[in-house]
Amino acid sequence: MTYFGIRYVFLFLPIVVLLYNFVPKKIKPLLLLIASYVFFYIKSKKLIVFLILSSLSIYLAGLMIKKIIHKRDEIIREVTKEEKKSIKEKFKNKKKLVLVLTIVFNVAFLFYFKYLNFFFKVLNGIFSVSGLDMTLKLFKHLAPIGISFYTLQAISYLVDVYNEKIEADENPLKVMLYLAFFPTVMEGPITRFNDVKDKIWAGCKVKYQNLCFGYQRIMFGLFKKYVIADRLNIFVKLTFKHYMDYSGITLALGAIFYTILLYMEFSGTMDIVIGTAEIFDIKIKENFKQPFLSKNISEFWSRWHISLGLWFKDYIFYPVSLSKGVKNLTSNIRKKWGNKVSSLIMGAIALFAVWSLNGLWHGAGYTFIVFGYYHFILILLGNIFEPTIVKVCEKNNIDRKSGFYKTIQIIKTTILVFIGELIFRAPNLTVAFGMLKRIFTKFSLNGFKTEVLTLGLDISDFIIVLLALVVIIIISLLREKDINIREKISTKPIVFRWALFYALIIAIILFGAFGPGYAPVDPIYADF
Amino acid sequence: MKKLIEILEELQPDVDYETCEDLVDGRYLDSLTILSLISEIEEEFDVQIPTVEIVPANFNSAASIWALIEKLQEEM
Amino acid sequence: MKNVVKTILFVLGLVVIINVISFLLIPKQNIKKYGMLKTAKYEILAEKENTIDTIVVGDSLVYSAISPMEIWHNYGYTVYDCASPAQVMSENYNDIKVAIESQSPNVIFLEADGLFRNVRKQKWKNYYKRQLEYFAPIINYHNNWKKGIVNFLDSDSNINIYKGYKYITKVKPVTKKVQKKYTNEMKHTTTGENIPDDNLNYFKKIIALCNKNNIKLVFISLPNMKTWSYSKHIEVEKLAKEYNLEFIDFNIDNVLNIDWKKETKDKGGHLNYGGALKASKFIGEYLKNNNLVVSHKNDDDYTSWDKAYMAYKEDLKKNNN
Repeated sequence: MTYFGIRYVFLFLPIVVLLYNFVPKKIKPLLLLIASYVFFYIKSKKLIVFLILSSLSIYLAGLMIKKIIHKRDEIIREVTKEEKKSIKEKFKNKKKLVLVLTIVFNVAFLFYFKYLNFFFKVLNGIFSVSGLDMTLKLFKHLAPIGISFYTLQAISYLVDVYNEKIEADENPLKVMLYLAFFPTVMEGPITRFNDVKDKIWAGCKVKYQNLCFGYQRIMFGLFKKYVIADRLNIFVKLTFKHYMDYSGITLALGAIFYTILLYMEFSGTMDIVIGTAEIFDIKIKENFKQPFLSKNISEFWSRWHISLGLWFKDYIFYPVSLSKGVKNLTSNIRKKWGNKVSSLIMGAIALFAVWSLNGLWHGAGYTFIVFGYYHFILILLGNIFEPTIVKVCEKNNIDRKSGFYKTIQIIKTTILVFIGELIFRAPNLTVAFGMLKRIFTKFSLNGFKTEVLTLGLDISDFIIVLLALVVIIIISLLREKDINIREKISTKPIVFRWALFYALIIAIILFGAFGPGYAPVDPIYADF
Repeated sequence: MKKLIEILEELQPDVDYETCEDLVDGRYLDSLTILSLISEIEEEFDVQIPTVEIVPANFNSAASIWALIEKLQEEM
Repeated sequence: MKNVVKTILFVLGLVVIINVISFLLIPKQNIKKYGMLKTAKYEILAEKENTIDTIVVGDSLVYSAISPMEIWHNYGYTVYDCASPAQVMSENYNDIKVAIESQSPNVIFLEADGLFRNVRKQKWKNYYKRQLEYFAPIINYHNNWKKGIVNFLDSDSNINIYKGYKYITKVKPVTKKVQKKYTNEMKHTTTGENIPDDNLNYFKKIIALCNKNNIKLVFISLPNMKTWSYSKHIEVEKLAKEYNLEFIDFNIDNVLNIDWKKETKDKGGHLNYGGALKASKFIGEYLKNNNLVVSHKNDDDYTSWDKAYMAYKEDLKKNNN
């Protein structure tokens, strides 16, 4: 059962909504938990044990940390100011121990399921290069669905408790629902306990308005997936598989299509996730904010997969850059070269950590590691050269705030993103670099003309994709201007509204790339 | 407060700090600039800014940054 | 209350719109006679009357292994697959009965595995999917919008290009475990497998139906390492002898020379396109050698089959994954 499937949208979700509305208010949150576990069980069967283990571990560890904090506060009230510091330090070490052990426990699962095989492969490579007669046996296993997502949520819960940003919750079921909540468990957004805890446990009745809005959003997600993403997938699959047979422009188009596909698929999933939550009156923060209007790579990552970027910022970037080790390391530089340079180096160290982990989070493989460092380098270069660019612009009287300048920036960023996603999609580095090489060296307009219509899409497919993208772009531009489209539509007369919804539904049925003649596509982000 | 505005202007001159209320959300201060800012503040006002306090709400306006500094100074 | 009424009206409106569009899109050579829903459920009814000479009836093994278009291209014979997942004998009987409403086939191949399928164990999922296709035929034919509005009313334009076959190129090689179990199951024994009564009864009805309509019935057991066994083989053989039928068991000595490392889509359960080419060729040869049907190549009444073959080839290329 995927979020895009008929079984989810027209069977599972309606049943949950119906049951949810019929049970008493107190049981409603419990029903959500049961539905979430059923959803998880359908996908991952027995592996649900690991989800439950993670939930219980952070629940118990949270309570332990809470106890330590309480005890500290009690003692601290009765001592002099001088003693305070050492006592604080003592308790800090205590709660740190709980924190670290629990994080290690959770990350160990993640490592086992997602990275052990890759780790073994790397070791085997080293063994064979160094002439050691030793090979570690690789094994095959499925990971619990969404483990990369819920583990990050688990860590965020615990660190926030540790930092006294939130209080550990006394109700184990609530913590379990936080990790397992069925719309977000598989592909995010990575929510924060503080943002959702009240709503998921409120047990509000499903309102007609929310139901309509929720399903509208779900339909929009289906539109993106079936009409655009699945159609482009046909073209993308062939270009990446047989890249040696195609000329530069065709491959470039394949890479561009892949980025569009990824965006449509992933943001479409988010439409379904957020729409589903909306039905239960649970607000989940947006995970995308018109990423293709970004002026640089760092901005792109604050608009694309936002919850992941924020997670890395809060739990990796600042803690690393402001850690004692890094501060000591840069304090000398600070004295010699000043604040700007030292901050840059602090930032660079933290960015390196962030992008190493970000690459690996996306997958255990060399392409993902390169994908991470590619962004690391681009962001770092952007920061180093920004002062120079400002100066050059000033000298030449270029207005950096003009629309023209911004457009150039957006185009530049988008091209860089295309390249990054090409690396992301390629099955291995040989293909990634091979494709890039061909794109820049095998430029042939005639080759493109003969190839473009042999890759599974005919003229009518291209027209449909184009029209659908125009719709998406218009909606994106409206959103960028903070116009709430659904609110706007809901004020229009009923004939107009229904015509619009009918058109959307019919467009999905008619122009969706599904059924005979189209192979089903696996969800891209669900494997993480 | 005056000193703080000076620091801010040094780091990012394109903003009117008296009125701007979305320094982080409007992307006037990116994460590297915030790192510089934190170093400057820690030196100038002799405070330690813990990572927990680095949230947009605390850095979205000059006033809120100032409030944070005052709060940290009190806690010392 | 108002909201409930609104919702119902909205859904009703949608049903009407979908039906109108369905009417425009689904193959409609025989719609007038059999109605849209029936034509959509039994795809063979959409074919021109009395054009199909051979029908293959059965379960998923059939639509994975026999591609009528390949047979048309190489031999000029008109074959049609009437098959759905986990089909049992009562459904086979029903399919044949419906098919001969508009067709008069000379030969029917009957996949034998369905004989042993426990009738009560019918998966609800299949049932649900079939019902969905029945009420929303557009799911199978939505892509016909490409042919353009002008052609919607032209009966020759919306043709079925797969004739019941389901095209899959995915390769999932057979595992050692399956291989071992299969070798074990295929050891010679003398005890046959039990056939559920319901299946046996409907099988007898099928025999009667074929005899009445002068159709040659041939038992086949298509390559399949997951459910076939030698005890099933001898049971079918017994039945075939009793009713004087021919029985081709592709599983004995791997007649088709299937490469189970490459030509299966699910570790030995079903054939993929590569395997289907071999199985289809065998059927074509069989029809030719036994002089059971005639070639309709270059026959003006069958130009739509040539068109279908062109579209079929296009489609294969598009989905060559």
